[in-house]
Amino acid sequence: MDQLSSFDDQLASLLPRLRRFAHSLSRDSADADDLTQATIERALKSRDQWQEGTRLDSWAYRIMRNLWIDTARARTRRSTREAPEEEGLNVGEDPRDAMDASVDLKRVMTAMGRLPDEQREVVALILVEGFGYREVSEMLGLPIGTVSSRLVRGRTALLAMVGEQ
Amino acid sequence: MTEDEKFFAWLDGELAPHEAAEMEAKVAADPQLQQLVEQHRALGAQLRGAFDSIEAAPIPERLQAALRPSAEVIDFAAAKRARTMPSLSQWASMAATLAIGVLVGTMVPQRGGAPVEVQGGKIYAAAALNQALDTQLASAPSGDVRIGMTFRDQAGEICRSFTQPAASGVACRDDGRWKLKGLFAAPEGQGSDYRMAAGMDPNLASLVDSTMTGEPFDAAQEKAALKRGWR
Repeated sequence: MDQLSSFDDQLASLLPRLRRFAHSLSRDSADADDLTQATIERALKSRDQWQEGTRLDSWAYRIMRNLWIDTARARTRRSTREAPEEEGLNVGEDPRDAMDASVDLKRVMTAMGRLPDEQREVVALILVEGFGYREVSEMLGLPIGTVSSRLVRGRTALLAMVGEQ
Repeated sequence: MTEDEKFFAWLDGELAPHEAAEMEAKVAADPQLQQLVEQHRALGAQLRGAFDSIEAAPIPERLQAALRPSAEVIDFAAAKRARTMPSLSQWASMAATLAIGVLVGTMVPQRGGAPVEVQGGKIYAAAALNQALDTQLASAPSGDVRIGMTFRDQAGEICRSFTQPAASGVACRDDGRWKLKGLFAAPEGQGSDYRMAAGMDPNLASLVDSTMTGEPFDAAQEKAALKRGWR
């Protein structure tokens, strides 16, 4: 029982970081919170698959990333039908009152949203979440060289986009 | 590793000490590289600054609620536990396939427009059923159609279960329309009994069960989904 409640507590304490990761993957805050919620639900359901003594954060991040990939097709279909610019700027739950903070977030989310999925996840995990190359390579099941080359392409494209805004 | 990759690995503190020293010397001798260092450090700071505002923000209630699912979905969980016969869901999914053909036949000639229409081999909600799926909240039933649960399927699309006098079923979003996932004729003699909870009809419950990922929406989520046009 102790083990179970410690799982819940640890997952609860990961929530702010999971939400942050979801925002760096998603188009807007509503999508990000849908993804976060689905991740929590999946993690609770799959708790038996988590091995005590291994990192819960990497495990939960991997769940979120896989759920995000799973819905990629539906997402692409939707975003081609809708006006992407409008949606990209539609931040549903502004986390801070300060105007400049929300403008910053919208701008950065829009730029991230224009990266190819495989670059976006690497940029999010390393530059925003602070994971190391090796950790990300294990989390995503990719060779470290692939992680590193996607990161170069992603951050170079981002710099160009943020620069032109 | 290409020179680019080496440069960024150095910037991220990922190079081994001797390689790092080498890169450091290279950057020190190259103003263009120094400028690149500055730009990318600023970019990193901007990214972290923007997304850290999310980490620092209060957690929305619905996410906190997701961590204690028992409070939200007690009815459905109870319905799940009540279905103890393991073979029931297999029968139900077979029935789902069969029931639909039979039912479409009996439902088509209704007054006021058929509740379903067939297009390209798919069956969509129409008329009053479509209207109810589009606009009705489970918490505020009105008219003949009653909405049971709203939830997402494996593809991430929103689905809703419904009950009407002759039938109950599940419909999911498909290119902006409600595509029927299953439709069950109401048992004889129970045609107009609305008191039966949607989750309690074993056919419907097992279809919901096999379609749903996560937990059903609560009232606030349902409302938000309606506002977003069921996306």
